[in-house]
Amino acid sequence: MKKKGSLSLLALMLVFSVVLAACGNNNENASGSSSPSASAGASGSAAPSGKPINLYVENEIKNLSQWAASDDISFTVLNNVSEGLYRLDADNNPQPALAQDVAISDDKLTYTFTLRDGIQWSNGTPITSADFKYAWLGEMNPTTATNGYSFILTDYIVGGAEYAAGTGTADQVAIEAKDDKTLVVTLKQPTPFFLRLTSLVPYFPLNEAFVKSQGDQYGLAADKLIYAGPYVLQSFDIAAGAVLKKNPTYWDNSNVKTDTINLKVIKEQSTALNAYKAGQIDRVTLASSDVDANKSNPEFGTGIKFRTTYLQFNTKAEGLSNVNIRKALSLAFDSNILAATILNNGSSGASGLIPDLMSGDGTKTFRELNGKVIEANIEKAKELWAQGVQELGSAPKLTLLIADTSEVKDVATFLQSEFKNNLGIDVAIDTKTSKARNELMDNNNYQMAVTAWGADYDDAMTYMDLWTNHTPYRGNYESSEYDTLIANAKKETDDAKRTDMLLQAEKLLVDTDAVVAPIYFGGYSFLQKSNVTGLIYHPYGNPVEFKSAVAQ
Amino acid sequence: MANHTDSLDHLFVPVRQESGEQERISRPALSAFQDSWRRLRQNKAAVISLILLGIMIVLAIVGPWLTKYSYAQTNYSAVYQNPSADHWFGTDKFGRDQWARIWQGTRISLLIAVLAAALDLVVGVAYGAISALKGGKVDNVMQRIIEILIGVPSLIIIILLMMIMKANIFTIMVAMSITGWVGMARLVRAQILKLKQQEFVLAARTLGTSNTQIILKHLIPNTIGMIVINTMFTIPSAIFTEAFLSFIGLGLQSPQASLGVLIHDGFQTLSSHFYLLLFPALVIVIIMVAFNILGDGLRDALDPRMRK
Amino acid sequence: MRRYIAKRIVYLVLTLFIITTATFFLMKNLPGTPFDEEKLALLTQEQRDQIYASYGLDKPVIVQYVNYIGNIVQGDLGTSIYYTGQDVKDIIVDRIYPSALVGLQAILLGTVIGLILGVLAAYRHNSGWDYAAMIVSVLGVSIPNFVLAALLQYYIGLKWGILPVAFWESYDSSVLPSIALSVGVIAIIARFVRTEMLEVLQQDYIVTAKAKGLGQMAILSRHAVRNSLIPVITILGPIVVNLLTGSLVIENIFGIPGIGSLFVDSIKTNDYATIMGVTIFYSAFYVVVMLLVDILYSLVDPRIRLGSGRE
Repeated sequence: MKKKGSLSLLALMLVFSVVLAACGNNNENASGSSSPSASAGASGSAAPSGKPINLYVENEIKNLSQWAASDDISFTVLNNVSEGLYRLDADNNPQPALAQDVAISDDKLTYTFTLRDGIQWSNGTPITSADFKYAWLGEMNPTTATNGYSFILTDYIVGGAEYAAGTGTADQVAIEAKDDKTLVVTLKQPTPFFLRLTSLVPYFPLNEAFVKSQGDQYGLAADKLIYAGPYVLQSFDIAAGAVLKKNPTYWDNSNVKTDTINLKVIKEQSTALNAYKAGQIDRVTLASSDVDANKSNPEFGTGIKFRTTYLQFNTKAEGLSNVNIRKALSLAFDSNILAATILNNGSSGASGLIPDLMSGDGTKTFRELNGKVIEANIEKAKELWAQGVQELGSAPKLTLLIADTSEVKDVATFLQSEFKNNLGIDVAIDTKTSKARNELMDNNNYQMAVTAWGADYDDAMTYMDLWTNHTPYRGNYESSEYDTLIANAKKETDDAKRTDMLLQAEKLLVDTDAVVAPIYFGGYSFLQKSNVTGLIYHPYGNPVEFKSAVAQ
Repeated sequence: MANHTDSLDHLFVPVRQESGEQERISRPALSAFQDSWRRLRQNKAAVISLILLGIMIVLAIVGPWLTKYSYAQTNYSAVYQNPSADHWFGTDKFGRDQWARIWQGTRISLLIAVLAAALDLVVGVAYGAISALKGGKVDNVMQRIIEILIGVPSLIIIILLMMIMKANIFTIMVAMSITGWVGMARLVRAQILKLKQQEFVLAARTLGTSNTQIILKHLIPNTIGMIVINTMFTIPSAIFTEAFLSFIGLGLQSPQASLGVLIHDGFQTLSSHFYLLLFPALVIVIIMVAFNILGDGLRDALDPRMRK
Repeated sequence: MRRYIAKRIVYLVLTLFIITTATFFLMKNLPGTPFDEEKLALLTQEQRDQIYASYGLDKPVIVQYVNYIGNIVQGDLGTSIYYTGQDVKDIIVDRIYPSALVGLQAILLGTVIGLILGVLAAYRHNSGWDYAAMIVSVLGVSIPNFVLAALLQYYIGLKWGILPVAFWESYDSSVLPSIALSVGVIAIIARFVRTEMLEVLQQDYIVTAKAKGLGQMAILSRHAVRNSLIPVITILGPIVVNLLTGSLVIENIFGIPGIGSLFVDSIKTNDYATIMGVTIFYSAFYVVVMLLVDILYSLVDPRIRLGSGRE
C-alpha cells in the first residue's frame, strides 16, 4: 500500500547501512591497514624492540616514486624506507650510509664512492652502483621524472644538464658504475656540500629490474616498492597513512630499535592535539595559539627549519619599480613583533635572507658573517617613502598577493597593519589559491607577494641562485652584477672567496636593490612524549629520521 | 400594566435601515495587512523576537561607535586579552577590539543575509512556481537545468570567478547566487505540485481566474509557510558560505570581518581562548532564534486559517 | 510511470553529459598547473614541455576532451597527477566508503529524530515541547557543525574517552562524525515537518477523522505524517547528496579519509582526472537521487501526477 512507501524506504536505508557497517568491519579487519599489530619476527635482529611509535603527517601521502615526489611528506616516508650514499646525523652532518667511504680527487671534482658489502634490497637483490646510476639518470630525464628536482643533479654533475635538455646522451653524463661496488661521479665545479646532497631522496638508488617489472604501478602500493632503508612499508593508504616495519635486510639493522612506526594523516591542527592528548600519537606540532598554554609542559620543545618567508617585490610593477619605495616597505615593519606575538612558535624575525644557523665559512654561520642585512627602521622608512613618492610623482596604490594558508594570511594582516601604522598607507590584501597565486606571479601579474623558500642543503647557494633566472616569479630581477657574483661563486674553488661572493650577493639582493624583504625564519613548537627519543628532525632536506627512534 | 407600555410605545420609533446594512458584519473590517499585524502583536514571543532583532540591528549600526577602538586597529602589546572593562569582548590575535569587530561583522552578515534571502525569494520562488505550474516539458527542462547547475562543481566556478572579479560583497553575492536559490525553487515547486491538484485551484480555474491570479492569490499564500521557513535556513547558510568564500579569497579581506569569518577564526583558538568563539556564536544564535520565532509568528499571522 | 522513468533516464544521461563537458572546459581554465610550480620554474621550457607531453597535456583542449569522453565510455577514469599514477577509479572507490557510512548514518539519525521532534512540536503546538523543538532546530543550524564536531571530539572523545578521537579504525570511528553531521539534518527536518504538520492538522479531513472517532495515534500515523512528508522528501534529496558525498570539514576534524576532502584537494591542486572523476560521480549520484525523489513524490501523494502537463 502507498503509505508504506516512505516507511519501507526508511527500513531499506536502515538495512542498507547495517550491511555497509558489516562490510566495513570486514574490510578493516582484512586490510589491517591501521591497527598496529604486535611485531612477530624481525628476523636477524638481536636488538630489543621498543614499543610502536605513532606519528603523523599533515597531508596525504601523495606518491612514493622518488621520480615524482617533491613534497615533505613523501620525503618523510621515502627517507625512512630507503637510503642514499650518505645520511645526515643528529648534528646534520653526512655519515656514510649505503656508501662505505668516498675518495675525493684533489681538484675536488671527482668522487669515488665505495659501497658497503652485503647491502641488499628488501627482496634480496643486492644493491649495486648500477642502481644509483639508473636512478640518477632517471631523475635527470624529464620523460621519467616529473617532480622538477632534476636541477639538484644537473646543476652539479658533468653532462647532466645536457642530458636533461636532450642535447646530450646518457653516456655523456659523468656517472660511472665501475663495478658493482664502485660509483664514480664527476662534478662541474667544486661543491663542498655534495655529500650532503647525496642524502637527499632524488639521489637514492632504484633497482631497474624491479621498477621496470612494476610498470606504471610502481610506487602505488606497499608491495609495489622495494626498500633499502631502516624500515619497509607494510601498508600505505594515501589518505589514512602508512605503517612502517623494521627492515630485516637493512645493513645497520642492529641499530634500529623500533619495530613499528605508525604514520597517520591528520590535516586539522586541533585534531592532532586531541589525538596527542588521547595518547594516539606521540608528537604534535603546536598551533601559535596553543604555545603559551603549553610552554611550561616538560614535553614542550621548539625547532627551526631553514625556511625563509619573504616579501617578493616585482621590480617591474607599477609603483614598485622605484627602489626607494621598495626599501621603505622593507624597513617599515618590525618582524620581531610578528615572530614573538603572532607566530609565537619558535620562528624568529628575519635579519637577512639566509636563515640563522645556516653555515657560512665553517666556523661562523652565514648570518654571523653578514650581520643584519635588513632591520626595521621606521624613521628611515618614512624618509625613503617620501623620497620615492616624490620621484614617482604620486603615492602608488599597493596590493599584497598571498596564498590562502592561515599562517600567510596572518603575516599579511600584520604587514598591512604595520604599513598603515608606520607609513600611513593602505595596502590591500589579495588572497588567492596557491595555484592562482603562482600563475599570477608567473604571468607578471602582481606587485608584491608573500612567498617562502626552504633550503635543500646547508649552503647559502640553495637560496642565492634562485634570483639569477630573471623570471617574473622572482621579481623580474635582472642584475648583471648579481649574476656574475653567483656564476663566479659556483666556479670558485677557494672557499673563503666563494663565501665572500655569497655574502656580497645577499647584501645586493636584500639591501641595495631591495628585491626581496625577508620577513621571518621558520620555526615550530611541539609536544613530544617523554618516553620517545631518538627522533631526528633536520632543518632542511629530509624532514625526519626514524632510524634511531625508540619509545621506552 | 397595559397602560404603562401603551403610553411609552410612541417613544420608540423603528430605526430606519438601508437595505444593505442588514447584511453588514458588526466587527470593524480590517485589511489583510492590518489583520496580520494585529495577530502578530498578540504573539508575545514574536514581539520579543522583533524587539531583540531590533536591538541587534541597532547595535550593528551603532556598536562600533560605542568604543574608542576601531575594528581594524591592531595593538601588538594587547593580544588575546580576555574581556575586560577596556575591551568588552576581549581582543584577538592582533590585539583588535572584538566588540567593534563583532558589530562591524554583524553589519556585513546581516547585509549578506538580506541579500541572499531576497535573491532566494525572487529567483527561487518564481522559478519553482513557474516550473510547477507549467508542468510537462517546461518543468522537465527547468529541473534539468537545475541539475546541471548543481552538477558542475561550484568550487571551480568560484575559483574562476576569483580570477576575474575583485573581492568584495558584490562578488560574494554573485558566487552565492549561482546555486543559492535552487533549494527554494525545489521546495516551492514541490508544494505547488501538491496544491495544483487540490480542489480550490480547480474551483478558481473554473471561475475563470487567470494563471497569474491563481499564482498570486492562491498558490503563493499557501506556500508562504514553506517559503518563510526555508528563508530562515538560508540566513545562517549564507553567513557560513560567505565565511568559506572569504577563506579561499573571494570576499572579505583583512581587516574586514563578518560573523562567519569571526567564528571561523575563533574556532582556531577553541581550546585556548574560548571567548573569541563564544561572542560571535552568541550573536548569531540570538539573531537566528529571533528570526525563527518571528518567522513562525509571521507565518501564523499571515495564515488566514489561523485566525482566532 | 514506466515511460516516465525511461524518459527521465534519457534525460539523466544527457544531463550528465552536459555537466561533464561544462566542468571539463571550466576546469581547464583553472589557474595554475597540476604540478609543483616552484620546482617547475627551475626547469627549462623544453623540460617543462616534455613533462606536459607525458601526461597528454600538450594537445589542444578539444582533443583532450574527446579522448577523455572516449575513455569514460570504456570505464577508464584516468590517472591522478597529484596522487601520481593512482587510478582515479580506485581512489574514488577507496574514499567513498567512509563518507557514505558516516553520511548514511547521519541521515537516518537526523531524519528519524527530526520527524519525531517535528511531529511532537506540531501536535503540541505552542507548548513546552514545541519551543524545545524549535530551539533545538535553531541551534542546529546556527552553530556551525565544525564547532559541534570539535566539542564532541574534545568532550566525548578526549575527556570522557567514550569514543575514538579521530581516524578511521573501526565502526566506532564513525559515530561521532555521524552525530555531528546529523544535527543539521535534525534541525531542518524538524522544522519542515512541524510546519507541514501544523497545516495538515488544520485540514478538514483530520477533523472528519476525529469526528469519526479515530484515535490520536491512528490520525497521526495514517493521515498527518504521510501528508507532511512532501517537503521532507524534497529537502532530503540534496541533503542526501551532500552528506553522502562527504563533508570536508568533518572529515578533516575526525581524520577520516573520505571523498569530500578528495574533491576539494583535487580542485585546489588542478588534478584534472580526479576533478572530473569525482564530479561525474557526484553528478551521477545527484541526478539519480533526484529521480528517486520525484518518484517518491508520486508514491507518497497519489494526487501528484508526474509528467502530466494538462494546462
